[in-house]
Amino acid sequence: MLKVENITKYYGENLAVDHLSFTVKSGEIFGLLGSNGAGKTTTFRIIMGLLDSNSGTVTLDGKKIDYSVTDHIGFVTEERSLLTKMTVEEQVIYYGRLKGLKEEEIRKRLDEWLEKFQIKDYKKRKIKELSKGNQQKIQFIAAVINEPKLLILDEPFTGLDPINVGQLKDAIYELQKKGCSIIFSSHQMEHIEQFCEKLLILVKGRPVLEGYLKDIKEEYQKKNIMIRGDIDPQELQAIPGVLGVHKKANEYEVKIESNKVVEKVFKKISHKNITKFVVEEPSLNEIFIAKVGESYDE
Amino acid sequence: MNKFWFLTGTNLKKKLKSKWFLVINIILLVAIVGIINMDSIIKAFGGDFNKTSEIIVLDQTELSYPIFEKNLQYFNDTLGTEYTFDIQKADKSRQEIEEEIKDTDTVMILLEDDETSYIKASIISDSYIDTIYYQLLYQALSSTKTEVAFSLTNIDSEELQKLTSDISVDRILLSEDKNTEEENMEMIMGTVFPTVILPFFILVIFLVQMIGAEINEEKQTRSMEVIISNVSPKAHFFSKVLASNAFVLLQGALLILYAIIALVIRNYLNVESASSITSEISNVWNSLVTSGFADKLTYIIPLTLILMILSFLTYSLVAGILASMTVSMEDYQQIQTPIMMICLAGYYLAIMAGMFEGSTFIRILSYVPFLSCLLSPALLVIGQIGIIDVIISIIVLVVFNFVLVRYGLKVYKIGILNYSTDKMWKKILKAVKSKEV
Repeated sequence: MLKVENITKYYGENLAVDHLSFTVKSGEIFGLLGSNGAGKTTTFRIIMGLLDSNSGTVTLDGKKIDYSVTDHIGFVTEERSLLTKMTVEEQVIYYGRLKGLKEEEIRKRLDEWLEKFQIKDYKKRKIKELSKGNQQKIQFIAAVINEPKLLILDEPFTGLDPINVGQLKDAIYELQKKGCSIIFSSHQMEHIEQFCEKLLILVKGRPVLEGYLKDIKEEYQKKNIMIRGDIDPQELQAIPGVLGVHKKANEYEVKIESNKVVEKVFKKISHKNITKFVVEEPSLNEIFIAKVGESYDE
Repeated sequence: MNKFWFLTGTNLKKKLKSKWFLVINIILLVAIVGIINMDSIIKAFGGDFNKTSEIIVLDQTELSYPIFEKNLQYFNDTLGTEYTFDIQKADKSRQEIEEEIKDTDTVMILLEDDETSYIKASIISDSYIDTIYYQLLYQALSSTKTEVAFSLTNIDSEELQKLTSDISVDRILLSEDKNTEEENMEMIMGTVFPTVILPFFILVIFLVQMIGAEINEEKQTRSMEVIISNVSPKAHFFSKVLASNAFVLLQGALLILYAIIALVIRNYLNVESASSITSEISNVWNSLVTSGFADKLTYIIPLTLILMILSFLTYSLVAGILASMTVSMEDYQQIQTPIMMICLAGYYLAIMAGMFEGSTFIRILSYVPFLSCLLSPALLVIGQIGIIDVIISIIVLVVFNFVLVRYGLKVYKIGILNYSTDKMWKKILKAVKSKEV
């Protein structure tokens, strides 16, 4: 289990992370979100032992972060951290040996992963000769070759086509089943919604929203009503508590302030020819924009 | 510690397995073998290294030809120009000879009586002749004119011998610990030494470029974050320094090996010239022993090697520290330029070492790190500084390297994970002052 307790980090006089705390249990996928410059990378660097925090502690299974602990952490960085002149085999062996693994063990695991990602033929190829998608797969393999207890994924799906995204998702779920704690960071909210049970949104180094995704969505007052039928958008817009009406394909999305507005909307259109009336949870994207926007306004 | 040796080994293997290492070494081997066996190569392509120079002398004075022939041979031997002549006296007219030497390398010498200067000469050829050949002919002709003049003014041969013989010069050194043979050897070594240190200069350039390129590649690709999360910056830094130094020492050893291969090939291709090289080496060695210079070499060589190894360390430490603060090779090229300029200055100062006789300034410069490895041995060889000065240079280098490690590591630790190039020198100073190690 990863435990981040009350960490604060300053760069000179700039506050990058402000009293941040969270835990990620074994087999849990945790979403760490934030706009650019929110402090995610600094947090990852502190967890990886690359930076010392000014205060607070980070432990993995009760041990403070040092080189013996980072041997059990995998890190997929946002940029592809690969030495492109190396071959796939050389690169994975290089990172694996730095994590204290023996070469024979790395070779065995590498063959299994290459088989799983259907890129066995690329083993002796130089990384610079591979497509972006395949480079990303190699970066993932290099990060998990040590069968990590904690895996940090920073934008892992960048540049991947839907088939490769699928393969990588399967691999992440497999690691989760084996008890690996995973921290997932992405600006693609649909991936976060799909993966993460728990999440935290950072703004200017401070957590502005934290908890289980289900609870966050339930607690979030604003909802969307999806309506299909003959309605007058102007009429709906005039109802108090309706925040906006947008046409999406052959439907209308009515954004409302709270559940209390649902009844008012329904009454207004109940006599009309309506074939769909569904109240939906807001998307994480909406919550993110709302929360980050609010914090910027403060 | 295992990770440190793994990193060092991988760094070294990566360099040795790279294509450019292979290509450069093939070029070096071919170049060294080629230069040492140049005469055989020229012969193989139909050239004649010892081509005979043909001279036709049209002597209208009826007196000068034998004197000129004798003088030409004399100056050829004395100046060591090693031409082989086929010289003959013409019995044809000038026009006929001029027609004959057209489109050939043959040179015609026309000697005529002259009322005011006894004789005058013309050197006639179809095309240009090289400067040394011209100077040789000129010297022989001038001397011929002098002898003809003496003979025409009835100076007897005994008097003539006295007038034309070389001046006798006695060289006397007042210091008891000096001898003239050693002076000559110092003059020779002063000329030879810059050639010997040229490979060192080239290896320093290799070293500085290599470390910069590697660190910048790791930073640019962000591999540095993965590496530094598993090994300390200190281990990473020293692995780079150690691997690069091992590499340049290996490259230096390979250069010596290529020279040996070239000599073996020479021996195989041409026994005669090889034996002449052997005898030349043996002659040089005998001169070194006789002059007492060989004894000097027993401390000059080890001191030079110590200085070179310590300087390789200095250059690699500085290169590593500077590379950690840059994010691309372009930035690195700019920041490392002053260091390369200092090294170049050291090389030129070493070449011109003989010009700074007794200069305190140059003696102090020989203690300065970056320069000392080139300048100190050069000054020691020509006797301008003593062993004690070289030992001071070594002590200064050791202290300088210690300071570089002590403060450079702080800069390195902060620099390798920093991707900003703003206010670089300010950041370096700040890192040096920080309490973190």
